Amino acid sequence: MIEFDKVTKRYGYKTILDAIDLQIETGECLAILGGSGAGKSTIINCINGLVVPDGGDVRLDGLSVSHARQLAEIRKKCATVFQSFNLYPHLTNIENITLAPIEVLGVKKSEALSEAEKLLDSVGLAEHAHKYPAQLSGGQMQRVGICRALAMSPDYLLLDEVTSSLDPEMTAEVVEVLEQLALEGRTMVMVTHELVVASKIATRIIFLEEGKVIADENKNDFFSKEFSSANPRIRAFLHKSGEI
Amino acid sequence: MVQESLNVYDASLWLSGLRVTLFLLFVCSVLGTLFGAAMALARFYGVPLLAQICTVLGELLRNSPVIVQLLFVYFGIPMFFAVRISQIEAAIYVLTANTAAFMFVVCLSALRSVDEYQLNTARSFGLGEVKIFTRILAPQALIVALPMTIGVLVNQAQVTSLVSVIGVIDLTRVGHILNQKTFDPFTVWPIVGGSYLVLALSISFLGNKLEENIRRNSGALRECEARHDD
Repeated sequence: MIEFDKVTKRYGYKTILDAIDLQIETGECLAILGGSGAGKSTIINCINGLVVPDGGDVRLDGLSVSHARQLAEIRKKCATVFQSFNLYPHLTNIENITLAPIEVLGVKKSEALSEAEKLLDSVGLAEHAHKYPAQLSGGQMQRVGICRALAMSPDYLLLDEVTSSLDPEMTAEVVEVLEQLALEGRTMVMVTHELVVASKIATRIIFLEEGKVIADENKNDFFSKEFSSANPRIRAFLHKSGEI
Repeated sequence: MVQESLNVYDASLWLSGLRVTLFLLFVCSVLGTLFGAAMALARFYGVPLLAQICTVLGELLRNSPVIVQLLFVYFGIPMFFAVRISQIEAAIYVLTANTAAFMFVVCLSALRSVDEYQLNTARSFGLGEVKIFTRILAPQALIVALPMTIGVLVNQAQVTSLVSVIGVIDLTRVGHILNQKTFDPFTVWPIVGGSYLVLALSISFLGNKLEENIRRNSGALRECEARHDD
């Protein structure tokens, strides 16, 4: 379980997260929605330790991100897929995938390679294993990014706007992979601007506004007419996103 | 008495001058590159105090004339600290420091050229800073740094000629000696200048070969070639 206990994050005078309390249960697939600058990605980066909260604490299975040793354990349990892929351009796709399992988890190289080949095969990229990231399309690079995260056998998968920089066709490729992962019951925390992606994959949706959670509903309730009618901000967001 | 033309003795003098220039260039380039890289790492990782010292030192060395530095070290330091410094020692200290100052900038900009997002990604996967440096940062920074390093070393080959002002018998000093013997500047200086030219071109050639080799082994070149094939 991931717990946010009154987590606050400020950049200068701007409060990005304002005493957020949040619990994400194992097996849940949470989508975080909100406008630009609402603090969505900061939530993901508080979990993987790339952002240090100014106040409060984030715990993952009881481990706190505030303690260096516990953070190292947390990073073995969760893996992040980034919006801009962030693949290492000097390594082949398979080397990108096997680097962390070998260096962090101590997996044998032969085992890591075999697992990476299976993962690449599962996302339809087996023939691209020994190519470099720059030789792939955006959708293919993001699928390698997903494989890199899955190679860590993470208990928690963190997805930071993974389809934002992709065209509709490439988005469909990535969503297909994520839908499969959701069906397997993997715990996922997903930041997205795209309601279609959230509606296909998430089981629960929270909506952030100025660093606060202003809505926390299961997916069906969030997209129901009754809910949006009762929440003008959500209605406006859904309206602008073309959902209603 | 004025010598009419250059002879075998002069050729051996030219060779000894070339040896001194090559020795200075090699020693100062190796030491300067190592010190410069260490300074860049201190600055890149923000080592307290050391980062600031490296920055100030780098600025001082890059923005003052090498000839002034040579005169200061050779004449000033022995007087102030009551120590004896030979001409070649003074030359090594100054050229090493000067090379380090330029390599500091080269290495720092190469390290900074690697996308911060890649480093954060590696951190989020639990890789330690040493592994991030050896597996992600250094291989990419090396490719960026190499062409600039070749440029610095070609320049430093010319800068070695300044050590003749403190009496080091390098190629340029040999040129002075031969010129005084023969009064034939149109023969002596083209030979000396040509020697520096061959030296600079050799460094460029070897550097380019090395760069090509590293790029090929690191996959960057293969990546480009593959993109062209596509």
